[in-house]
Amino acid sequence: MNEAFFFGPAARQLFGNYHAPAGGDGQVLTVICPPLFFDYMRTQPTLRRLAISLAERSQHVLRFDYRGTGDSFGEPGEVTVSDWVEDIALAVREGLDISGSQKVRLLGVRASALLACRSLGAVSNFQRLVLWDPVPDGAAYLQEIRGVQAILVQRHLRLSRDEHHQGILEYAGHPVSERMLNEFRLLDASAYSVVPSSKLQVVSTSPVKPFPVAGVSQNVAPVACNWEMDTEEPFMPQSVLLERLIVCLTTP
Amino acid sequence: MSDHALTEEPLHIGEGGRLLGILTLPAAPPGNARELPVFVFLSAGLLHRVGPRRLYVHLARELARMGFSSLRVDLAGVGDSSPRPGLTNEQSITADYGEIVSALESRLGPLSLVLGGLCSAADHAIKLAPADRRVIGMLLLDMVCFSDDRFVVRAFIARYLKPARYSAWLMRRIKAVSIPFLDRFKGVGQFSLRLSNVPTREQIRAAFEAIHERDGRVLSVFTQYALHNYYNRPGQLARVVGIDGYRRFCTELYWPEAEHSYDLDAHQRRLIEEVKTWAAGYSHS
Repeated sequence: MNEAFFFGPAARQLFGNYHAPAGGDGQVLTVICPPLFFDYMRTQPTLRRLAISLAERSQHVLRFDYRGTGDSFGEPGEVTVSDWVEDIALAVREGLDISGSQKVRLLGVRASALLACRSLGAVSNFQRLVLWDPVPDGAAYLQEIRGVQAILVQRHLRLSRDEHHQGILEYAGHPVSERMLNEFRLLDASAYSVVPSSKLQVVSTSPVKPFPVAGVSQNVAPVACNWEMDTEEPFMPQSVLLERLIVCLTTP
Repeated sequence: MSDHALTEEPLHIGEGGRLLGILTLPAAPPGNARELPVFVFLSAGLLHRVGPRRLYVHLARELARMGFSSLRVDLAGVGDSSPRPGLTNEQSITADYGEIVSALESRLGPLSLVLGGLCSAADHAIKLAPADRRVIGMLLLDMVCFSDDRFVVRAFIARYLKPARYSAWLMRRIKAVSIPFLDRFKGVGQFSLRLSNVPTREQIRAAFEAIHERDGRVLSVFTQYALHNYYNRPGQLARVVGIDGYRRFCTELYWPEAEHSYDLDAHQRRLIEEVKTWAAGYSHS
């Protein structure tokens, strides 16, 4: 059973989707922090499937959209990284209210890995953070999107000079603020270091991209996610990846 | 969700809430709100109800600011909606549609509808519209279109007027020497026939005739995706539909500079403004 709803203060409501545990009164709440920009649409089916699977294993699960993304209120150009970090804390509080759980586990996907690490100070009952293909740092992530966006704009042969200029500055078709970019650039790999390695697990789809912090358990699920592609076309849930994520999020 | 001009609420639709949609309502409905159609945005391929670059979210909220209600919905098997095992795609969409309209009428009372969306959503709208008299409009973004009698000639001219093509021409010619020259154009314009579940020429015509009979309206927009596959001249759809008075109830736009998913903000904003201008026609009628 799942229930979609809006939550949070009236001026900045977020869209959420709560999956109730299939059996028993689950003690664990998992909050899924979705990725951003191109990655957001591409991972939607996988994250939904994961949420259903976790609920079938007696977990409470909350998926949500950050401000300015998905069905939530606002536009990417109006929000900042700190807003998104606040949104995670807000989603956790909402999930705890709904579920009455005592333990919180977070899943951070791609750039959300950095945001989730930053949010932990405001997350009560935190037990574990699982990262799926975490980006190395904010600057590298922005550079990757800019590269993809440049290719995308190059394909447009009939743009005016102004349109071309504006297009190059967008992130996956969304204008974003300079403040957002600056805050992203400040998110370096040290964000990962603040999480005790005993509470951190990483699931990577590529064995050639090591996690920047030593001593963290890293699981490889070889799946072609092709994050560098300039498409929003979703990829279908892959069992090898789901199994890894489920193990990381359900092992006591 | 709310802002000063609109509210949004999730709508769990059908048995066991199989389908999920987001209903967007104007916060202060205009006096003629009951006369305005409700927009229904159907899933664009496998993308969930948000649409590419949040296109459906933006359209829904802009239309609400004009007084229109709308539903952006995940069809069965897409986004947050569960599949319907054992049904064909066509059967599943017909079942979805019945439940969507029933849920909307339960929530809003008797209504008229504008169906549409991008790509496969437009194709679904075309197939659903003739059988439901509540449908008085279609918003068709890169619907499939059949070739008219000059399509192949235009495709030929366009192909051979591109200077870049000449640089590779000799190599291609050598490779293709065994293929009769005009045979290479036989597939052009037949794109739609290679895909399953796209409407036939007759279904397209039936949908437009139905909307015409109901004094409804149609907005169709074709981008470079259509240009590369099945549409290469403004007015091609009018010639394919072949209905007297087409231009009185149909607006047909050709934007070869825009990409299929409106992947640049300027193009998406231009589309939204065009839809708003077109939708305003319902307020005035």
